[in-house]
This record gives sequence, structure tokens and C-alpha cells, in this order.
Amino acid sequence: MSLTHLSFYSAFALSSLGLAFHRTHLISALLCLESMMLSMYIALSIWPIENQAPSFTLMPMLMLTFSACEAGTGLAMLVASTRTHGSDHLHNLNLLQC
Amino acid sequence: METTLLLNTSMLLTLTIILTPALLLPVSKTPPNYTTIITRTVKTAFLISLVPMTLFMFSGTESITSYWEWKFTTNFKIPLSFKMDQYSTTFFPIALFVTWSILQFATWYMASEPHITKFFFYLLTFLVAMLMLTIANNMFLLFIGWEGVGMMSFLLISWWQGRAEANTAALQAVLYNRIGDIGLILSMAWLASTMNTWEMQQSLLPTQTPTLPLLGLILAAAGKSAQFGLHPWLPAAMEGPTPVSALLHSSTMVVAGIFLLIRIHPLLANNPTALTLCLCLGALSTLFAATCALTQNDIKKIIAFSTSSQLGLMMVTIGLNLPQLAFLHISTHAFFKAMLFLCSGAIIHSLNGEQDIRKMGGLQKMLPTTTSCLTIGNLALMGTPFLAGFYSKDLIIESLNTSYLNTWALLLTLLATSFTATYSLRMALLVQTGFPRTPTNSPTNENNPMITNPITRLALGSILAGLLITSYITPTKTLPMTMPTITKTAAIIVTTLGITLALELSTMTHILTHPKQNPHLNFSSSLGYFNPLAHRSSTTNLLNSGQKIASHLIDLSWYKKMGPEGLADLQLMATKTSTSLHTGLIKTYLGSFALSILLILSTQT
Repeated sequence: MSLTHLSFYSAFALSSLGLAFHRTHLISALLCLESMMLSMYIALSIWPIENQAPSFTLMPMLMLTFSACEAGTGLAMLVASTRTHGSDHLHNLNLLQC
Repeated sequence: METTLLLNTSMLLTLTIILTPALLLPVSKTPPNYTTIITRTVKTAFLISLVPMTLFMFSGTESITSYWEWKFTTNFKIPLSFKMDQYSTTFFPIALFVTWSILQFATWYMASEPHITKFFFYLLTFLVAMLMLTIANNMFLLFIGWEGVGMMSFLLISWWQGRAEANTAALQAVLYNRIGDIGLILSMAWLASTMNTWEMQQSLLPTQTPTLPLLGLILAAAGKSAQFGLHPWLPAAMEGPTPVSALLHSSTMVVAGIFLLIRIHPLLANNPTALTLCLCLGALSTLFAATCALTQNDIKKIIAFSTSSQLGLMMVTIGLNLPQLAFLHISTHAFFKAMLFLCSGAIIHSLNGEQDIRKMGGLQKMLPTTTSCLTIGNLALMGTPFLAGFYSKDLIIESLNTSYLNTWALLLTLLATSFTATYSLRMALLVQTGFPRTPTNSPTNENNPMITNPITRLALGSILAGLLITSYITPTKTLPMTMPTITKTAAIIVTTLGITLALELSTMTHILTHPKQNPHLNFSSSLGYFNPLAHRSSTTNLLNSGQKIASHLIDLSWYKKMGPEGLADLQLMATKTSTSLHTGLIKTYLGSFALSILLILSTQT
């Protein structure tokens, strides 16, 4: 696998692991989500350049808009959960009723 | 005159007469004096029963009558049939005579008893059951009589119910009898399935009888007649009142087992294994009981062990295939044993409840009639020539010596005969002779004819019965008449040796100091250690195995470890491990998400 592919995969993998295994704050999870988005953006940008297909150059822009919406939603939820649970510590978020 | 009609009628009249006091129960308002009524009833029955006996003796008439038949199934019928043969016609007058004397004695002995009427009715019920056993022609009626005598024995031994030892003794009696009943039911089942009948005449096989039903019958006789192994109940049964001991446990009930074997002796005759078993069992019982009687100090226990020893001797006679001789011994033994018990009862009451012979002495001057009859009884028991016991006992020993049998049985029986003389003489010497060891204010009194009449009647019987019965009843098997002198006088020689031994020992106790603890003395006085061994070990084993199966096996291991609770434990272990995952935190779910992604990636690339 070439160096660029390795860097993209490893960045994505590291970010997803960071999403899964964050320690205390929900915002760090959202940050990892952003870094996943970033690595995907860079990958999507380099892909049409490598394959000499200029018509796919639009794809990263589309992804960027959707990720912006998603980031906004995530932040809104963070604020809402901070309002109800008092902080954004993860051990407050519990699905169990008891 | 139709002799069979007369025979049947008089026997049935005897039985009916005995049942009449029960009819008086609901009739009269003021309760009559039941004791005299019952005594007189039994006396009348005795006099009537002399008729069939004389008919039999002078014309040899025997008969079987059967009445109403119970159709149990279509091919198995149980008739109500009575057999009046040599054994039942002779046994009836003897049993009724002894019972009459005992009832007359009991009116004096139990005079201070508040429930004396119930006591007399119990004795009467026992008598009816015993006579039914004797006269039964099929195993069904015999079984009814058998169970009846066992039941009445239980009720009468525990007459003084407040006493714990009496209850224990009654329980022992009923349990040991039950063990014998298992054998009887086994044989009855075999008989019903093989011969399809329970009648005694139809149960003869031309070939050798299989040993198993005979073993069952021998077990039944061993249980009822206190042979070795099933013997502890007989000495314990002395807890009952003396009339009970005299009637049940000396003359009538304990001979029921031997009587059963006499009735079925054609089955035994073909099977040498069963005969040898009877012989050895009887020899062992007679020696064991005689050994135990040597060191007993309770007068009733000595007589009880003496009964047990004589029962062993009867079993030996059965083992020699001489049932008629066994029956002769039963008849003569009834007289002197009942008399011995009545004399001991008179002595006990005269000494205000003292039963220990070490505390009696010099009674010959205080109670002359009673002690004279005691001496006559002891002499008859020892087999003194031409008293009652001689005719049966000497014949048995002679037949033992002249037949082809197990030497051990012979030796044991001879040794037991000498021991009989020893303990009888010991009892007689300690009770009657010497200086009185009783307290000085004992109410010794035998002026009452209620005491002296029965005892002297039975004494007359013990002197004459042997002669009368052997003169009038012809033996079916001729006994050997010629034998060497020492064989002929073997019984007398061993008896004399026993007497000299007893005299030596009695002088020894006055002169030398007795050694303290001696294994032979311990063996004899603790009845061969049989009671604690048998009673404790069987119950301990049973309860232990019960605990192992019920508690350890089922409850603890199967239910707790392997079955339901074990399954629950396994589930609990698994549940405890997986509860840590079910916390509801997002981190866990995201962690599992990452894990699954990793797995997919690793398997794909």
C-alpha cells in the first residue's frame, strides 16, 4: 500500500479508536468525529487528482457541507445534554432506568 | 354311637363354651363378677374337652370338618375347616387345664388390679386364638390364630403400661414375632402358588420339598418359639404379670412355632437340609439359653430361660423327624412350667414384690406347699425318672444318641441338659434353703385355697401326665429299644453331673471368695452380648443408610450440586461475568462497536 493510503487509513483508524475510547468528555468524541471527517476530506480530495478525473472534484465539498451539519447537530446535542445532565461527563449518560 | 359326630360336637361345644363370657358383656346392667364366671367357663370347657380326648384315646377317631367356604377366586377356596386329630384333641384338655389353674391363680394374684375384668378378657381372647391355631386345618385359620396370639402377647406384656421396660419388652416381642411372620407369609405364598391350596392334607409332595418354603416355616417357628437369633423377646417378656408369663410364655404361645412345624412335618421329612437346620438351631438355642440361665438372679428370668432351653430341645426333636415326641414334650412341659411360674408368682407376692433370688432363702419353712411344688417342678424339669419330664426328655436324649446326626448337636444338647440341672438346683437351693435373706416383715401367706389348689393340681399333672399320655397314645415311629447301657443312662448321668456341679458351686460360694470379673461369667450374665449387638447394629445401619441416601445423596449432592441448584449456580457465574457489560454507558457500546469493526477489518484484508 502506498504511503498516502497508509496515512489516510491510519488517521481514520486512530480517529475512530479515539471516538470509541475517549475518557471523560463528550466533546473529545465529537473532536475525533471531526478528525475522521478531516481525514476523509483529504482522502476524497486526493482521489480525483490521482485518477485524473476532474469531475469528481466536487465530492469533498459535498461531504464537507454534510459534516458541518452533523457537527452542528453534535454540538447542539452536547449543549442539550449539558443542560439536562449538568456536565458533559460520559458516565452521566446512562440508558438504564435504575 | 357315631363317634365322629360325638367328637366333632364335643370339640365345637368346647370352643363355643369358651366364647360365652363375651355374650354376657352387653347383656346385664349390673356388672357381674367376671373373674369367677370366666374361671368357671374355662373349667367347664376343660371337662367337656375330656370327651373328645377319651374318644380319641380309646377308638383312635380323628376327623376333619369343614364349614362355609370362602371363594377367594374361582379356583382357590378357603374353607373354615377344623382338624381334630391326635394333636388337637390332646392339646385342648391340657391347654384348658393349665388355663383354668392359671385363671384361678390370677383371681388371687391380680386381686388388687382395677381393670381385672379386661385382663381376664385378654386372657380369654388369647385362649381362643391359641385353640384356633391348634385346631386349624388350613394355613389361613392358623395364621389368624398366629397373629391373634402375637397380638394378645403384646397387649398382655405391656399390661402395666406406665413402666418403660414393659413397653420396650412388648415392642421387642411384637417385632421379633413379625420377623417370623415374614417367613410364614413366604411359605403361605409358596404353598398357594404351588399347591393352589392352603389345606394341610393337600400340601404333601412325593418328592423332596424345595428348601425355601421350609426355611420360611423354620423362620416363623424361630420367631414365635424364641430360637437363637430371635430369642431376646422371651426373657424380656417377663415384664408382664406372672399369670401372663405362665400362660403365654411357658405353655401355650411359645409352643405355637413348634406346633406349626409338627403340623407340616411331612414336608420337612423329605428335606435333610431343613431337618439339619432345625437340629442345629435347636441345639444352639438350648445351650445358649441354659448358659444364660446359670447366672440370672431374677427368678422369673431363670424360668424364662429354662422355657427357651426346652423350646430348643423341642426344635431338636423336630430335627430328628420325631414330631410326636416333640408334641409329648410340649404337653408335659406345659404342666411343670406353668406350675413353676405359679409358684414363683406366689413367692413374689409373699415377699411383697421381691424377685431376686439372692434376697430369698429359707422359704421351705415359710411356704411349705409352694416350695414343695417348686421342687416337684424342678425335678420334673430335670427329667427325674418317672415324673412327667422324664417320659419326653429321656426319650429325646435316647433318640439323639441312637440316630445318625450331627455330633455337635448331640454334644450341645447333652451339655444343655446338665446345665438345666445346674440352674434348677441353684434356684431351688437359693430360694428354699439356707438362712432367710428376706426382710423380716414379709407378708408370707399361702392359706388361700386360690393359691394352693391350682399349684397342687398342676403338681399332680406334672407327676402323672407323662405316664398317662404315653400309656394311651401309640407312637407312630418305634423308637429304638436296645442300646448300650451308657447310652440309655446318658441323660441321667449328665443330669447327675449337673447336680453335683451345682452342689459344689453352692458350697464354694459359702467357703471361697468369688473371683471378681471373669469372661465366662460376663458372657453368661449379659446374655451373650446378643441384645446390645443385635439391637444397636441393625438400627444404626438402617438409620445410617437412610441418612446417606435421603440427606447426603439426594438433598446435598443431587439437588445442590448437580440438579436444579447446580444449574442455577452455573447461570449465576455466567451472569455475574456479563453484568459488568450491562451498565448502560455509551463507552461500552462504542467499545464494542470498535471491536467489531476491528474484527471485520482483520478478516477482510
